[in-house]
Amino acid sequence: MSGLATKRLMKELADIQGKGTPEGIVLLSADDLQEWIFLISVLGEETIYKGETFALRMKFGNRYPIDVPEVTFLANDQYQPPLHPHVYSNGHICASILGNEWSPVLNAVAICITMQSMLASNKKKSRPEGNDRYVRSAPSNPKLTRWHYDDDVSFSIRLNLFNILRVLLN
Amino acid sequence: MDMSSHPLLASMDEPPPFPSNYPQLRRLDRSVYCQICKEPFQGPVSIACGHSFCSSCIRSSLDVLKKCPSCNEPASEGSIRRNRALEEITDAWEESRPIIYGFAQPPIAKKRPAPDSGSKPTSSSNTKKLKTSSREASGSRSQSPTKFRISNEEQDVDQTEDLQDEGNDDLDDVQELTENDEAPCPICQATLPISSIPMHIEKGCPPPKTRTNGIRKGNQKADWKKVFSGQTSSGKTKEVELKRITKPNYMIATPADLRAILAEYSLPTTGDKEILIKRVQEWIILFNSNLDTSHPSSLSALRARLSDVEASKRRDKEKGKDDMVAQLGNRDGLQKYAKDKKSEFERLKREIMERDKRRKDEEEGKGGRENAIEVE
Repeated sequence: MSGLATKRLMKELADIQGKGTPEGIVLLSADDLQEWIFLISVLGEETIYKGETFALRMKFGNRYPIDVPEVTFLANDQYQPPLHPHVYSNGHICASILGNEWSPVLNAVAICITMQSMLASNKKKSRPEGNDRYVRSAPSNPKLTRWHYDDDVSFSIRLNLFNILRVLLN
Repeated sequence: MDMSSHPLLASMDEPPPFPSNYPQLRRLDRSVYCQICKEPFQGPVSIACGHSFCSSCIRSSLDVLKKCPSCNEPASEGSIRRNRALEEITDAWEESRPIIYGFAQPPIAKKRPAPDSGSKPTSSSNTKKLKTSSREASGSRSQSPTKFRISNEEQDVDQTEDLQDEGNDDLDDVQELTENDEAPCPICQATLPISSIPMHIEKGCPPPKTRTNGIRKGNQKADWKKVFSGQTSSGKTKEVELKRITKPNYMIATPADLRAILAEYSLPTTGDKEILIKRVQEWIILFNSNLDTSHPSSLSALRARLSDVEASKRRDKEKGKDDMVAQLGNRDGLQKYAKDKKSEFERLKREIMERDKRRKDEEEGKGGRENAIEVE
């Protein structure tokens, strides 16, 4: 890991230690500075994911935060990715913030908040169109997939996100 | 997980945040942080939208995406401008932080002033501590400490050669030490003008530029000549021109072009085009951002940083590979790998069987053409 990535991740970890994570987000494991796993649940009564918990895995490269981390929902015996029109059954996520809308001012917790709000705004549990076909041919690293973010949902998430982050980062 | 005793954080040397009952100080503290690296600005620059970042941070970011990381406005490297006021603010805040941190402690903790307390093992606070002691040390040599201290306070104003004073020429009156007098640095013992010692320590004791004494008046003419002819004393001694490097067009640049750039700055020219591009890119960020700060590193320090970056990238690349090879090298590891990947194997097996079956059906039916488009 390069100096910038290491320092930055240490700071984020210290921040989580000092201030904690937002409600519904728990750091499950951060044994090293390469891979962190967060548990995410959606709060409130109105959500369709009530009582469900999902595990979000982030892999940080040595150019973090310039480069976006590799983010997927875990799909194993213990955790299943949420049923969501932007989440494939292998855990890959189609969200602009994990692609061309990534900004180095964001951080790991910000990604969790985005995912949480993406789930919270969903009304119908379904898999993305062409899920089976994508999952069959998908590379293991979702960053190698060329995503199309033509959905207005991802846009509104991003707009919201900057408002959330302004509060969060302060 | 239990965050109270995270092993990774044990080795961290971070200045502690201000207590939560001082939100104003926390805000002030944050305001001198670059939003990309979350560290105090190093060579801050602003871009067209008005947001500021460390020069190297924003240069790296703009290499990837031509937008402001904070507000998403389109941005380009051409709009980068040095933000000298912000640099001064950052430096001043860094200098005052330990003192103000000490003030912000609850009364009981106040007995131990923060700058000297062991709870702040940061390198920056260490230099600050040394700096304080250096002031005290050199101050005790002076017979007029008040005067000395005042002149020391003015050290932020750039020292210029023509700051003459009477006491300097009069060698009999050595008691009156003024800022233009020289004294040994308390750390490295190099002889320097007193006024420049704090800055010298701040920079980690670089060897002083050799300058002969008592030639100032005589050389003034020559100095002015230099100014008018456009050459500076530093420009002459430096091996390369300290001018921003223009980015080559990586699409059309040949490996020879890239090697020429690298050779100009005495950098390694080995590797294929991809490696050369990475090295040139990294160097341009390091070199150009080094021109945006009042505390520039030496070229050799930049070269060392470049080789560090390359080494860490290589380690990262090989780390996963080594682990995998080590795991598959022994029996337990092999079994564990097989167990971990079992569901994946099963899935592939099932898919291949299904596919074969489909193909067979197609051949038999000869009508199922529309199913032929299949992603493999």
